[in-house]
Amino acid sequence: MSATAAPVGAVRARPADALASWLRRNSWMLGLVVLLAALLVFTKFIQPRYGVTGVQGLAISVLPLALAAVAQAIVVMSGGIDLSIGSIMALVNVVGAVLMANQSEQFGVVAVLACLVLGLVLGAINGSLIVFTRVPDIVVTLAMSFVWAGCALLVIATPGGGSAKWLMELVSGSFGSEWVPKAAVALILVVAVVWLPVRRTRFGLSLYAIGSNRLAAFRSGVAVGRTRILAYMLMGFFAALAGLSVTASTGIGTPVPGPYTLMSVAAVVLGGVSLAGGRGGVFGPIVAVVILQIIRTDMTFLSIDSNLATVFQGVILIGVVMIGSLIQIRRGRA
Amino acid sequence: MKHLGKARGLIAIGAIAVLVAACSSSATTAPATPAPATAAPATAAPVTAAPVTAAPVTAAPATAAPSAAAMFTIGYSNGGGVGNGFREEQMCTAKAEALASGQVSGLTMTSRNTDAAGQLQDIRDLIAKGVNAIVFNPNDPKALNPALAEAAAAGIKTIAVDAYVTDPNTWNLYNNQIEYAYLGAKWLFEQMGGKGNVYYMRGLAGHPADTDRDKGFKKALAEYPGIKVLPNADGVATGWDPATATKLINDWIASGQYDNTQGIWTSGMDSMIVDAIKASGKKYVPIVGADLGAFVKQLLDPTNYPGLKGAAVTNTAAVGGAGVNMALKLLNGQTPTADPTASQPNTILLKPILAENVTDAGKATLTSWQTVPGLNPTWPLGIQIPDWTTFTPAQAVACKGPGE
Repeated sequence: MSATAAPVGAVRARPADALASWLRRNSWMLGLVVLLAALLVFTKFIQPRYGVTGVQGLAISVLPLALAAVAQAIVVMSGGIDLSIGSIMALVNVVGAVLMANQSEQFGVVAVLACLVLGLVLGAINGSLIVFTRVPDIVVTLAMSFVWAGCALLVIATPGGGSAKWLMELVSGSFGSEWVPKAAVALILVVAVVWLPVRRTRFGLSLYAIGSNRLAAFRSGVAVGRTRILAYMLMGFFAALAGLSVTASTGIGTPVPGPYTLMSVAAVVLGGVSLAGGRGGVFGPIVAVVILQIIRTDMTFLSIDSNLATVFQGVILIGVVMIGSLIQIRRGRA
Repeated sequence: MKHLGKARGLIAIGAIAVLVAACSSSATTAPATPAPATAAPATAAPVTAAPVTAAPVTAAPATAAPSAAAMFTIGYSNGGGVGNGFREEQMCTAKAEALASGQVSGLTMTSRNTDAAGQLQDIRDLIAKGVNAIVFNPNDPKALNPALAEAAAAGIKTIAVDAYVTDPNTWNLYNNQIEYAYLGAKWLFEQMGGKGNVYYMRGLAGHPADTDRDKGFKKALAEYPGIKVLPNADGVATGWDPATATKLINDWIASGQYDNTQGIWTSGMDSMIVDAIKASGKKYVPIVGADLGAFVKQLLDPTNYPGLKGAAVTNTAAVGGAGVNMALKLLNGQTPTADPTASQPNTILLKPILAENVTDAGKATLTSWQTVPGLNPTWPLGIQIPDWTTFTPAQAVACKGPGE
């Protein structure tokens, strides 16, 4: 699933090699799925009772970070990076919670739509600042992370607000079979409905093109500035969804950003998105987020000292990425 | 080539991000907003005065007859303040209590700086692990309720320590902050002879503990009509920040207002006030603080601080251990008696105690707090709570749970 690399790569593929080339292009993604499956088996092994409850809890806790990782992946694929995702999430989270507090269920729909528009606007501001001031992405978004975090505290200084019931029910419980958590369905649906069509548009192609080689894209007639701003707007949209999912899972707004920004970068790296831009997809990072969460859960099951657990997590992360890179380099030489 | 350099730089940044994120430490999550839980330095203090004398070194720790009672597994979730002495002491006392009880076969701790959503996951992990009880320091009064309801459905007892949650099935256990302020203020007003001006140095505006302490202070004030509060009835906020507290007292001295002050009440920012007065060469006025190491040391040091009269009120961090103790009580079928004065049902409020350096009995209590060898200087001194903890101070300092 991980998105077709630069369009250049596709030209070489002959029909006979289709499967082999698909496998090669998606090898990272397949590796992740295998790793995830192995981790699930391992989890079941160390905790034989791990079952429906565990999977449901996993799906709900994965949701905010998975959406944040999708947001980050989109910007990174376009050749940028956004360090304000956590702050945007906090701002949307509190705005949503304040709007929905003590309001009717119907008004909740308006509030959610308003939050999504807010996300688009915040992303547009980030993107415009980067494009028009020519200050590097990392600097602009780092600065904006303080701005948005401050705004969140202005909206509400201490945790509070509320959430519409339907929003909370949207992510809790199961859908049909008890093995299919609603949170997972919501995540897959929203990504499939928004990202898959976008990827097939002219904008989607431009996104990969400017991430791959900005100059070449420009010379091929891609409106680089506009594409970058659109990429940041799409990031803002997914970050807003992530913020709303925090509202949905906790039922309140918390103005202090959670540890989402750097975790989203970690998930993007583990998910096979090139930090140099132009390569990767959004499903790899989602699987990566699930892997990261399961590792933490396993640490709890094994009763590993919390401080040691964070060290292990980091070592596992960097280890997986390093091994993956080494395999790719070796294949590149062969 | 230039492109390659840029790519390398980005990859390096990515690698750093990976590590930092994995270590998910406080960098991005500075506890700017005090979840009601985090009780900064001010919330730091001992409750018990009878530590080492009771059962000194002989209290055979690990061999506490595990066979008789049923064995339980307990989970502990801490969602913030990693590295803060007050929180560390909470977790170490939880481990010590689990070990000393002899009824805990496994204690699983999750501790990280995270938001309510992250703590929801930690609690759900503990539910999936199938522990018998979960003790946690809540990041929010309401946000954890979905997971707590799931725990109740799974037959798991839940106990919130250091702050309360609104979940009806969860027991809350925290320090009585109204009483904390009342005890200190009453002692101070007595020392002042019931008349004069008191400089009122509060904690963090809007923090639940600060709000409760204000209630206790005002309660004592109502009993002493001769006392006037400076600079105004609401006092000044130190934010539980040593630097802010130092600046406030230096301004107070420089403006000459100190000469018109007969007593100082602090919300735990105490030792820096004493040092500032010492540096100014002025005479000490009676002062109230918390049971923090530096302040207690000053109170017991008449050579370097001649004429210093003060009292330390306990604000124990042993609530972690007390939470484990309560979990075991609940699992053994006992029902603790709830405190009707608390804002939530199912709540136990721990009573603070006061020790001063004016009487010999007070000095003896202060001295007894100091006698725990190896105690971390950032930990509140009182590490035991009568009726709620059974471990020895040495076990708390060792910070080892069952099987470690």
